[in-house]
Amino acid sequence: MTTFNLPDLGEGLPEAEIVEWHVAEGDTVSVDDPLVSVETAKAVVEVPSPQSGTIAKLHAGAGDVVLTGAPLVDFAASPDSGKVSSAQKTAATPAAATVVGNMPTGDEVLKETAIAGGSRRRQTGRVKATPSVRTEAKRLGIDLAKVTPSGKNGQITIADLTDYKLSQQKARASKSPLQRVSLPTGQAEALRGARKVMAQSMTLHRDEVAGCTIFDDADINDWLHKKDFTVRVLRAMVSGCAAEPALNGFYAPASMSHQKESRVDIAMAVDTPAGLIVPVIRNVEAMSVEQIRTAVADLKQATLERTVAPQDMVNYTITLSNFGMLAGRYATPLMVPPTVAILGIGKLQHDVVAVLGGIEVHRRLPLSLTFDHRCVTGGDACRFLAAVIEDLLKPQ
Amino acid sequence: MAEVTLIDALTMAMAWELEHDPSVIVLGEDVGVNGGVFRATAGLQKKFGADRVQDTPLAEGMIAGISIGMAAQGMRPIAEIQFMGFIYPTVDQIISHAGRMRNRTRGRLTCPMVLRAPFGGGIHAPEHHSESTEAMFAHMPGIRVVIPSSPTRAYGLLLAAIRDPDPVVFLEPKRIYRLNKQDVEDNGKALPMDVCYILREGSDMTVVTWGAMTFETLKAADQLARKGVRCEVIDLTTISPIDYETILESVQKTGRLVIVHEAARTCGVGAEIAAIVAEKGIYDLQGPIRRVTGYDVVMPLFRREMDYMPSVGKIIDVIQESLED
Repeated sequence: MTTFNLPDLGEGLPEAEIVEWHVAEGDTVSVDDPLVSVETAKAVVEVPSPQSGTIAKLHAGAGDVVLTGAPLVDFAASPDSGKVSSAQKTAATPAAATVVGNMPTGDEVLKETAIAGGSRRRQTGRVKATPSVRTEAKRLGIDLAKVTPSGKNGQITIADLTDYKLSQQKARASKSPLQRVSLPTGQAEALRGARKVMAQSMTLHRDEVAGCTIFDDADINDWLHKKDFTVRVLRAMVSGCAAEPALNGFYAPASMSHQKESRVDIAMAVDTPAGLIVPVIRNVEAMSVEQIRTAVADLKQATLERTVAPQDMVNYTITLSNFGMLAGRYATPLMVPPTVAILGIGKLQHDVVAVLGGIEVHRRLPLSLTFDHRCVTGGDACRFLAAVIEDLLKPQ
Repeated sequence: MAEVTLIDALTMAMAWELEHDPSVIVLGEDVGVNGGVFRATAGLQKKFGADRVQDTPLAEGMIAGISIGMAAQGMRPIAEIQFMGFIYPTVDQIISHAGRMRNRTRGRLTCPMVLRAPFGGGIHAPEHHSESTEAMFAHMPGIRVVIPSSPTRAYGLLLAAIRDPDPVVFLEPKRIYRLNKQDVEDNGKALPMDVCYILREGSDMTVVTWGAMTFETLKAADQLARKGVRCEVIDLTTISPIDYETILESVQKTGRLVIVHEAARTCGVGAEIAAIVAEKGIYDLQGPIRRVTGYDVVMPLFRREMDYMPSVGKIIDVIQESLED
């Protein structure tokens, strides 16, 4: 006996309903004789007999629903039973393409919560930025969430990234070295007074000034008063300022403006146990050599006694650093912004110099001139230095 | 409430409307006596009679044409095209007449018809039986294109489509006709058209899809959720006109967009969504918009059709790639 199961009739349906049997149990049928009409998704379909033989059993009655693949008909054994019809061949190949295919089916119950659009409350968005800004931020390593937007509809612009980067650099710069660097265990001493001011002004110099230093020597072998260094150098600086006013004054980076001064107020860096004190001698351009000498003597005394008034240590136009009293020929002295030049005097030496007719030993004063290259050119600085040297060459 | 499949829900919706609105009529090839190629209209002729559920000759252009005529004169025809691959003879009628009726008559006549057609691949069907050419209708003014993706939406949106005063091309993802069931209350309540449906909320990635692809997309979202990626899955649902507001809102939240559709890539509806988000939401995007789509080839026959369609694995790959931007 063979059993014929309900084949997939082509719609991929899981079942079919028996509409009408065309055969009864005990009937003899030939291959492809109509067996039964079933109703499926496609339509009402006649199922042909897959083989010749005698019907032994019908597994369902009219109106019954039969699952695809479930027994439909039993055939009694017959000599012809080896023959199979096209319908059975098709049914035996599950992936076979038929009229309209193989519909996937499932009993799974779909659980979903669908929210209709427009019914949600608007949520706060993330940062707004164009792809180019995002790419640039990635390159600069900037977290866009930290940037303040200035663009249309609150979007971050390239300029915002630049501003953010600058403000970060400034924030880093404004921290003193003590805040950024952690020291090994030990007794650290906080800077106070003049030393603290020095730390701040030198940091400012490093962050802002484009410093450039020129070195030269002034031959003072012909001086009549051999030890009159400070007075002569101050006078020479007045000559320098007269020859090239660009070094005597101020520079404001925010407005990019250069302010040249006609007064020559010279700050003199004086080394004291408390630190570097920089008192000012005002209007040196209007003083005679004698007046300068008196002013310098008064100032030194006041500095050592620490009686220099605060207003006498500010608002100067150029600086003199007489560091060579102790050691060191040349240096790269640093001026305090907004001034733009500082002249350093190194240790007096006896140098072998070539003169017409041979070699002589002369006293020479080493000069180191630092200028702010943002507003002073190399030419300006050299003209200034040449005038200083020319003045220093004079016997008195 | 009854647990029904998507196609059962369509039958329920049509039965409800035939029952409650005498101007509704169902027509198409084999929809009457045989109950439809996929049984969507099973039992309707027996219940409502051959005048209301009519078998037509095998002539799609005519089916669309007489539907337009009836619609313009106050009927509400629901025409069935057996497969989207056979919808092309209706295109002249739909584009040149259905979509223009309101404009042509300066609003005097409208065309309240529904053109139903199963679409999409995945059922091992022969040639012409697996297309997804929804973009073609989306491009045409005056025609609304709606695609349900669950029994609930099939019921509610078909009711809305029948009641709409203008023509609706109602495309049914046949691969999920019987894939699962849902409790659907047969209460005659329509769902809003012209809006997206958010199937899953998330804040890492917006995934827009529709039709049978919602099934793969939700599976992908499930698997990604186990890795901590929260996808927001939006069922576009109305292909034309598109509810951009919902998509833009979501992209504002997530900053990323992947679009999944079964249709071929070039000029697919995904391209239009990508264009609008680029126009209106570019400042919210954290990376490029990506698409997971079918290929620009004729839909393959059954042995290769699953290679053509976006798989769960492919959707996951593209979403993960997009998260790295």
